[in-house]
Amino acid sequence: MADPNQSEQKPADGDLSDAELLELFAGHGVYRDNAAQYRGRLDGQLLINRCADCARYHQPPRPMCPNCWSFDVVPTPVSGRGTIHLLMYLHAGPPADGVDYHNGGHPVVVVELEEQEHLRVTGTVHEFGPNEPSIGDAVELDFLDRGGAPIVAFRPSHPTELNHPTKPDQPSLQEHRSQD
Amino acid sequence: MARSPMKDQIAIVGVGSTGFSRGDRSPLSLALEASTAAIRDAGLTAADIDGVVATAEAGAASAPLVVSSLGLTEVSHHSRPAPLIMFSLLDAAQAVFAGTADHVLIVTPVMMSSWNSRRATQDPWRRGARSSILPVPEDSANANAYATWAGRYMHEFGASKDPFARIAVNSRSNAAANELAAMRKPLSFDEYHAGRMIRTPLNMFDMDYPADGADAFVVTTAQRAAQLPQPPVLIHAATTGVYGKNTEDQLPSLKRHGQHVVVDHLKARSDLWIDDVDLFYPYEGFTIIALSWLENCGFCEMGGAERYLAEHWNDERQRIEIDGRIPLNTHGGSLSEGATRGTGHLREAVIQLRGQAGARQVEGAKVALVTPGGFFFNSQGAILRSA
Ligand SMILES: [Zn+2]
Repeated sequence: MADPNQSEQKPADGDLSDAELLELFAGHGVYRDNAAQYRGRLDGQLLINRCADCARYHQPPRPMCPNCWSFDVVPTPVSGRGTIHLLMYLHAGPPADGVDYHNGGHPVVVVELEEQEHLRVTGTVHEFGPNEPSIGDAVELDFLDRGGAPIVAFRPSHPTELNHPTKPDQPSLQEHRSQD
Repeated sequence: MARSPMKDQIAIVGVGSTGFSRGDRSPLSLALEASTAAIRDAGLTAADIDGVVATAEAGAASAPLVVSSLGLTEVSHHSRPAPLIMFSLLDAAQAVFAGTADHVLIVTPVMMSSWNSRRATQDPWRRGARSSILPVPEDSANANAYATWAGRYMHEFGASKDPFARIAVNSRSNAAANELAAMRKPLSFDEYHAGRMIRTPLNMFDMDYPADGADAFVVTTAQRAAQLPQPPVLIHAATTGVYGKNTEDQLPSLKRHGQHVVVDHLKARSDLWIDDVDLFYPYEGFTIIALSWLENCGFCEMGGAERYLAEHWNDERQRIEIDGRIPLNTHGGSLSEGATRGTGHLREAVIQLRGQAGARQVEGAKVALVTPGGFFFNSQGAILRSA
């Protein structure tokens, strides 16, 4: 059976070999079934596998649509708009360029994309200024560079509307963060 | 009622433990100490053991290596199930039930490793396991998954860290009476809340305590158990469970994951449920996991753990006692006994059901609910009862 990932998807960057792709994204867990998504990042695109037969998206990328068992899954650009569904702060972790585990910690978010219910992408957030990101905040995609490897990041999609303190009726993760 | 032909047919007849600490022994050395202790405890010898289940913990010996190191003549069943004890217990029980072997040894050594302990990275004997390629911080799997979903739990239910603190303080209070436990110093609520943040909202006291040690068990038929020296503990029902959408960041909601699958299957196969249990061992590799087991087993409603644990708190003993009767994790759990990956929960349930827990003994305990595992890929549970 023809694999659409291999036959249809032209590497967006043009020249990176598979070996170079693996080296650039070392530690990201790149393998055959998600390589197209990492190539997409190099072109500034967030690609999510979508089924050509039933039109459902799925995450993380699999070689077959879990909804209808079609192998005709196509890495498809999405808007990158969504809302923060899960949020945490790392206060220790693997050393990485531009990642500060102190001063409140490094945020990790899981964003639910507007394209489909429960369709989510994990990354970090920035450009929140003095505001604290909160679960439910609207965000948009904005890749960060880490040693030439684009990292999935999100920024507030309506910065002017975020000039509020953390919502008083919701528990804030901020109260629980250490100041180390 | 679901099909349950194995109900009460298989017994745990031997337990052995090295205890848990930060030591300098190899996983094989620990595995052999626990194994020989469990076989002797069962009143058996090397000649009786014809099955070996060696849990696939990092660095742990394979079953054939355990077989040769124990000097066994030969075995007719051997396997290497994924970590968390119920995979191994079910495999051993099913082997005995199917007649593949008659007396099966289960052995699970755990080691603090460079991925869960900063100290371990400085130990040349452990450093070898560490990959030179660093993972990316923006990972939604493993430990990060429990921090993100703990935050979601607090957001959805307006929960504070108080119920998390109660799980941690409870474990430490109980570990004080357990000579096998790595951390036996009491923990105050103030100390808990001042704990170093590791993954907000989870701090160092919300995570299991990395330690070295091993537990071993021997299982056989209930009939054979009646001829052996220890009071038999019967496997009344046991199951593992995984939910379809189990990728950590894609879990649709906290309303359905592996724990719910396990609870549904246990209830369908058991004559006994939470009104009948005297002992409850909710795994707490992370505190949020134990809170979720409490709620998902039906002791209280979803999001109700904060109120429920405050109501069922014994202030004098600084521990949880459901209806003043059912204590939680009487051995100190993974948070305080050590990161046993559920072997400690199972071993303590067996010792309690035998009536051999000494100062920790819950008087007249006859039924235990043991629920190892988290939300995604290792949820599991068992109902054990005295014969
Ligand atoms: Zn499809």
